[in-house]
Amino acid sequence: MNVIFTAVFISSMVALAICAPQDFLPALMQGGESAVKTALTLFTIYAVWMGLSKLCERSGISRGVARALRPAARKIFRTDDEAATESLAMNISCNLLGLGGAATPYAVKAIAELEKEGNSFAQKLLFVINATSIQILPTTVIALRAGAGSAAAADIFLPSLICTAVSTLLATGLFLAGNKLWR
Amino acid sequence: MALIIPVIFIAVFTFSAIKKVNIYESFTDGITEAFKFTVSLLPCLAAVFMMCELFERSGLSDLLTKWLSPVFGLLGIPEELTKLVLIKPFSGSGSLAYLSRIIEAYGADSYVARCACVCFGSSETVFYISAVYFAGLKVKKLALPIVCVLVATLVSTILACLICRIM
Repeated sequence: MNVIFTAVFISSMVALAICAPQDFLPALMQGGESAVKTALTLFTIYAVWMGLSKLCERSGISRGVARALRPAARKIFRTDDEAATESLAMNISCNLLGLGGAATPYAVKAIAELEKEGNSFAQKLLFVINATSIQILPTTVIALRAGAGSAAAADIFLPSLICTAVSTLLATGLFLAGNKLWR
Repeated sequence: MALIIPVIFIAVFTFSAIKKVNIYESFTDGITEAFKFTVSLLPCLAAVFMMCELFERSGLSDLLTKWLSPVFGLLGIPEELTKLVLIKPFSGSGSLAYLSRIIEAYGADSYVARCACVCFGSSETVFYISAVYFAGLKVKKLALPIVCVLVATLVSTILACLICRIM
């Protein structure tokens, strides 16, 4: 990210200084302003869902979900570790709710737990699933569209679901196939 | 469809009440985490939004789009999405910046904006995630998972543009 950021920033600054130097400072301020606005929109979404996920955690729902998912986790991720399974379950639930940001801490935790087990297969599989985004509710996108005055903010629900399902299945399939081939 | 979210909330709140969890405190704790998380995001967002703004106003972005849009056009991806698709694997905040610009510029219900939303919603920040997840671990041979993910992302982007034309 650093390399890209630096390259784009410097080349843009030079180009702008040549073409329209009076636009320079306003451009930076404008960027900061949009960042604050976007952060506010994001905060409202995160507040709602992270509040709820805290409740799930404290009331034992997430532990229950993890226990229910254990047989599946054993099959898919080849793990038997309870702490890892709970983090895995929370990660995938957050992803399904479209909370990529909230899912990341759980993924990192799950990966650390799996490291103890020496289970690099599960680590990579978790990465593949997360990196292709599995979500049922694209919350961020819906909130952004609603904020911009869309008539039917949620009507991208079905297309998103199809695309995200296809990409996750395809990547997982490729990964499993490649994993077998190269062993 | 609209009932799913209310039902989830009612179920979780009722269950927590039965379990005698301190709901107010837990919910607030969750929001505190959300707040911390948003604040931790803000510096990156601000920096990247500034970069986007400069990139946009300097005319360099038009140049890049002009170069790459024929390739994307062949794949059925509208040229307005070129930058979004390119930046998404690297940075969530950067692609979010472009997404909100596209929504603002073309209107939330336009074909381009809907396409952008689906692409955004169905892909992830591949390189960023790989950096965060595997920081400091000994896992090797990450090339295979990364390539799989990138191929799948491209396919789903093409698919997204196709589906949005129909739906």
